[in-house]
Amino acid sequence: MAQLLFLDQGKKDMINLGSYLGISFALFICGILVMIARKNIIAILLGIELILNASALNFAAYTKFTNGNIDGHIMSLFIIVTAAAEAAVGLGIVIRFFQLRESIHIDDAATLQN
Amino acid sequence: MFTNTLFLLSAALTLGGAVAVVYSQNLMHACIYLLASFFGVAGLYACIGADFLAATQLVVYAGGVVILMLFAIMLTGGTGNNINRYGLEKIAAMGNKKTYFFAGFTAIITSLILLKIIANILRVETSAVLTPNLPTVERIGTVLATDHILAFEISSVMLLGALIGAAVISRPRKERHD
Repeated sequence: MAQLLFLDQGKKDMINLGSYLGISFALFICGILVMIARKNIIAILLGIELILNASALNFAAYTKFTNGNIDGHIMSLFIIVTAAAEAAVGLGIVIRFFQLRESIHIDDAATLQN
Repeated sequence: MFTNTLFLLSAALTLGGAVAVVYSQNLMHACIYLLASFFGVAGLYACIGADFLAATQLVVYAGGVVILMLFAIMLTGGTGNNINRYGLEKIAAMGNKKTYFFAGFTAIITSLILLKIIANILRVETSAVLTPNLPTVERIGTVLATDHILAFEISSVMLLGALIGAAVISRPRKERHD
């Protein structure tokens, strides 16, 4: 019953673990590129969000295609919560840095004090 | 058929958005492309039956994080005046050739390592019967309130700490004269 409904009668399905791992891989590489190549602090935070999305997608894909329990979804939920907290604190730091230096260029963030 | 179409559209939206985040000159446009990429990831969650995760992705990321990023971009000067009063570049949208060179090499090396790992995983033939896409909200609620209750409470404390910390960090301070 379940096979008839959800597996397309033995045909090779497009939605498999490999395609999800490939998409997550491309997201991760794009995040790495943004984090290294850009010079803007907010753009670097955008890259971090891309990387966190890639990892959460991996957890959800594995929990679907390996054992089917719900623990990967829980892990993805905690990743989303952590990403929200990270975005709040990171943007607070960026705004404070802009008040001090009038700049959000990453090369201006080279000293710890003054 | 419907799921395959949704999967193709979501994958195209996700990858196109991510590539556009890398290569868009304007930072506002990059943020909107990131929003498109988040919508695509929500569609990908919906394709594998993670309905609660897709809804959370839309609410938290598309409704919260991207708006927060847009506000931060606008509060730090938007994308307009790029030169500060010292004549230096204040808000750099893109890097220069050198950073793209290093980033390209890093991306190539990282992608080779990751492809090696993924190839090891994909060589294992997974012929298990897929579980049907049941609604997951009830199961997630049950598991979250029983097995993962400690992580749940710790994440609530972490969110409170992040809230207070962000407010404390970014408030304007009086200059002390001493």
